[in-house]
Amino acid sequence: MEKQKYAISIQNLTKRYGKYRGVSDLSLNVEAGDIFGFLGPNGAGKSTTIRSLLGLIKFQKGNAQILGMDVKSRQKDILKEIGYMPSEAMFYPTMRVKDVIRLAADMRGVDCGKEADMLCERLNVDRNKKIEELSLGNRKKVSIVCAMQHKPKLFIFDEPTSGLDPLMQAEFFQLIMEYNAQGATCFLSSHVLSEIKKYCRHAAIIKEGKLLCVDTVENLTKTSTKRIRMTKDGVEEDFVYKGDLNELFAGFAGHNIEDIVIEEPELDEIFMHYYKED
Amino acid sequence: MVLYKHEMKLNFKSLLIWTLCVGVLCFGCILLYTSLEESMEGIADSFSNMGAMSTAFGMDKMSLATLKGYYATEIALMHGLGGAMFAAILGSSLLSKEEAGHTSEFLNVLPIGRGSVVFAKYLALISNIVIFNLACVALYLLGFICMGETIAAGEMTLYHLAVSLMQIEIGTICFMISAFVRRNLIGAGLGIAVIMFAIDMMCRIIPAIENLKYITPFYYSNASDIFTNGKLDGTMLLISVGITIVSFVIALLWYQKKDLAS
Repeated sequence: MEKQKYAISIQNLTKRYGKYRGVSDLSLNVEAGDIFGFLGPNGAGKSTTIRSLLGLIKFQKGNAQILGMDVKSRQKDILKEIGYMPSEAMFYPTMRVKDVIRLAADMRGVDCGKEADMLCERLNVDRNKKIEELSLGNRKKVSIVCAMQHKPKLFIFDEPTSGLDPLMQAEFFQLIMEYNAQGATCFLSSHVLSEIKKYCRHAAIIKEGKLLCVDTVENLTKTSTKRIRMTKDGVEEDFVYKGDLNELFAGFAGHNIEDIVIEEPELDEIFMHYYKED
Repeated sequence: MVLYKHEMKLNFKSLLIWTLCVGVLCFGCILLYTSLEESMEGIADSFSNMGAMSTAFGMDKMSLATLKGYYATEIALMHGLGGAMFAAILGSSLLSKEEAGHTSEFLNVLPIGRGSVVFAKYLALISNIVIFNLACVALYLLGFICMGETIAAGEMTLYHLAVSLMQIEIGTICFMISAFVRRNLIGAGLGIAVIMFAIDMMCRIIPAIENLKYITPFYYSNASDIFTNGKLDGTMLLISVGITIVSFVIALLWYQKKDLAS
């Protein structure tokens, strides 16, 4: 297949649920080989966008292509190339973990036993347990194996880290990095800003069904806004400052500055900044 | 095919339980006939003269004094109703259980297509009904053999074909409902089975609503009619097959365009 510039390309996607807003007029491109973060609070339309792309729900207006294929007409071909992890990792409760993993592979018609072994090993998955015995975090791990075992070209994760302990989160992102190095694209939605900042190259912020901005994570965090933590006259202060730093320092004259840290604001402060505008 | 096997595996326990419940119960009742036989002779006459009651249960046509008559009225009643309930319960959850159990996002992001999902699940429904009926019939035949009775092969075959079709129709109607909803409406499925059964009894007694017999598949699959006439009603079979096909097509079309809940 010809190498596509964009792994995901969405034009004017609109999805309404009856009267309720889902996503309106959303356009977005995700370059092949990128690790892309899709940020927004609960109910902003992240899952709606993802589920529209996967064909789980039918959107009213707009177009979308995944790996150059139209999502409406070539759903089956697209799904072959995708590893998807839903936010709610649920399986058939009475089945054993190994059977679920096998089932997912068999339905794809591929033998990925070796890859599954490796993933189960690294994620510490107990394959003999029944699904109903697993906690959310452990079901998430099974979900990761099901999404990764067939080595897809595109990963779509809907809030992947919720329920995972920090060690597993790190292992999960390590796996993403490895697959990414082999050429896979990764699109992940989240409301945890720190992980987007740490692992993603590009990010989009979505609010109430509309896209607010798309940029590199670096640009999103690089603003004239600074976060300042200091101890002035024995009093600790922590604030976000926007404006001329010289003026700020001029204001310090005559005060006893014991300690000062000036840093880029956290992504969540920028996030809040986008959300407070209006 | 993978999904079909998966579905058969998931439903195996329920199939086993229903087959044992209905099959063994009816088998036991056939064996019980020896102890009933003597007293039956006395009460068979009064049973066949209970007016509407006898008509509703077909006891005006068949005498309880023979095992064949007992089978066509009592055993067939249990088998028909039990089978219809099994088909209804199975059908009404087959598609909706994915959304109700939050597994639709697992299943429908696999590259098989929703059409194949519907076909595989429907095939599992039909297979379950067929296996249920074959296993039950085997038990009943065993019962007849244990009792040393001759088997009315022709009537038995016709009746069990008809009653299987009846279950398939009910199962398919419930299957269609399960394509529309996001919860397992087992109650509604059972309701349909019982209402169809009730309509059959009512329209036999009340002449004004006699034409309702074209709606309920219990009418053409009535054992005492089949054992008495030795044939099936072609028109009613055609209507039944028609309803089954239409229900399946609606389920297929709707499931492919619906928004799946997570």
